[in-house]
Amino acid sequence: MLEIKDLHVRIADGGQDILRGINLTVPKGEVHAIMGPNGSGKSTLAYVLAGREDYEIVSGDILWDGESIVGMEPDERAAKGVFLAFQYPMEIPGVASMTFLRTAVNATRKKRGQAEFSVPEFLKIVRAKSAELGVKDEMLKRPLNVGFSGGEKKRMEVLQMALLEPTLCVLDETDSGLDIDAIRIVAEGANRLRSKDRAMLVITHYQRLLNYIVPDYVHVLAHGQIQKTGDKALALELEKSGYAQFKGKAA
Amino acid sequence: MNVALIKTKAEQFLASELQAKLAELPGSRAKRVEAMERFGARGLPHRQVEAWKYTDLRNILKDAGPVASAKVGGVVDRAGLDRVLGPFAALDTQRVVFIDGQLDSGLSELSGAFSVKPVQPALDAEGPVTSALPEQEAIVDLNRALVSAGVDVSVAAGAQISRPLLIVNLATSQTGAFVSIRHRLSIGADAAATVIEWHGAISEEARGQQTVVSDVVLGDRAALQHIQVGLEGRNRFSLVTTGCVLGAEASYRAFQLSASVALARRQSFIRYDGEGGKIDISGLMLAHGSEHCDTTLVIDHAVPSCESREHFKAVLNDAARAVFQAKVIVRQDAQKTDGKQMANALMLSPAAEFDSKPELEIYADDVVCGHGATVAEIDEDMLFYLRSRGIPEGTARALLIESFATEVLDKIEDERVRESLRQVVLGWLATGVAGDAS
Repeated sequence: MLEIKDLHVRIADGGQDILRGINLTVPKGEVHAIMGPNGSGKSTLAYVLAGREDYEIVSGDILWDGESIVGMEPDERAAKGVFLAFQYPMEIPGVASMTFLRTAVNATRKKRGQAEFSVPEFLKIVRAKSAELGVKDEMLKRPLNVGFSGGEKKRMEVLQMALLEPTLCVLDETDSGLDIDAIRIVAEGANRLRSKDRAMLVITHYQRLLNYIVPDYVHVLAHGQIQKTGDKALALELEKSGYAQFKGKAA
Repeated sequence: MNVALIKTKAEQFLASELQAKLAELPGSRAKRVEAMERFGARGLPHRQVEAWKYTDLRNILKDAGPVASAKVGGVVDRAGLDRVLGPFAALDTQRVVFIDGQLDSGLSELSGAFSVKPVQPALDAEGPVTSALPEQEAIVDLNRALVSAGVDVSVAAGAQISRPLLIVNLATSQTGAFVSIRHRLSIGADAAATVIEWHGAISEEARGQQTVVSDVVLGDRAALQHIQVGLEGRNRFSLVTTGCVLGAEASYRAFQLSASVALARRQSFIRYDGEGGKIDISGLMLAHGSEHCDTTLVIDHAVPSCESREHFKAVLNDAARAVFQAKVIVRQDAQKTDGKQMANALMLSPAAEFDSKPELEIYADDVVCGHGATVAEIDEDMLFYLRSRGIPEGTARALLIESFATEVLDKIEDERVRESLRQVVLGWLATGVAGDAS
């Protein structure tokens, strides 16, 4: 279970708080969506969960499986099962995608006390999961994300998620820049990972993605706070009414 | 204004060494004395000399060791040599081995696809008439005065040699000798060959200085892949000068690796003598501690329709310093010249320094010439991305540095040679990049 308790966060260089007292609980087996306007703090929340250093936790706590992950290194969090699918996955020239995947999976397995995969074992697993996501062999030979289309990058994110077998999946604007066909492929990949042992936090600006990844709960994030919580109907309602109603509510 | 030059300790010592060893050194004494006089008139180059602005040799080279006129240090056998050659030992090559400035015939294979002759008689020669080496160059003069050995390598016209020539230049002295070697390489018309120059030391305790001067002449349509592996040692000072003249449609592909040398200056003077020549020179400078690595290129587009490509990278840790200065001269007649150069440095420490000095001297009007340089630290966004996938920080950093450094190796066409160089680079990264490898 993910428990975010009265979380206040600002950029490490100082300035105003971006998150101003977030309270959120996501039990395993559930999918929660976070919707909000631009600048509401959605991506900040995603990065803070993954352990990015550019942010300062002013107060509050984040517990995963009852343990505080605030202060944990990003790779430690990954070993604990936290995974962030990036809105803008990084292009890493010179590092072949396959090499990266094997390094990541084996480092994580090692930390989890599982046996590392041999090259042939790993190839077999990657081939199977890649086929499900329409990730071609040729993509795996190329440097990570370099020259990939928007859709290819997002499929690569979901492939990583499938291989690393996280228990907390955070999807940050996974639909941004994708056409309907690409959204469907990526969403199907994410849906395949839905299970009673996994919590999922889907961050999105638009309701569209939630047609494919149907959430159990929808939270509206604006001005650094959760403004409203409802079921999937709330997303449809927001599509009509917009986010304007939440402006200025947090003083 | 005529100012009497006050000679440094090193300059005085080198002049006295020539006097003391003149009888033992091979070849014409008069030419040696002349060369030393030319050198002595200006001394070691210093920062007020434009070409040495970033490498103040006069200040850096405070001491010089005794001139190697006969074998110094220990004897090296084949197994011992193979150990220091590392990945290059396994390559199938025709070897020519110099130990402390002397040709070791026992470890060398002089007759093979490459014709290799000790250059003793050639020491007196001024070099090939077409030499691209500048006249009155301090290091070349110093080398002329003190040279102890070298080889004259030739490849017959039309020969296609797949087995590379490996010229090993090994230092064993722990007290520090001053070694001077001079080579001549002549690749006949339509011939193709690979020459690997390997500079190294028997152990990290090896000390001393060296000058190595090579004169390369490529016939029309000749193709040479020239690999220079610089592992001289963290207590050694190395000055490597290469001159190369290209005939029409000749191809010179060079790669220069420098890893952990106290001071390395690799200067290449390249000139096109025939139209349609192509050069591609790239390299990697790896330095840490207070090491200093200088790559200097002078490329003379003397004739039309030639192409030059230069791409160097540097990985610098601690207070290490790398210099990349590349001058491209395009003569008035050299229309349709196509020249590009690029330098990229990765700084692993705020105290590291990278000096990039591109110089384009263009006198023709129909040319394409460009240059670029980047200096960067490890990209924190990339690092976070890798770490968020469970890769520990040390491994993630190593992966990013490796990908930066090894990219330039792709320029090397020979897969075996490329793989050997990759092993050297990975070895350096494992030890030269002090990090939190976890």
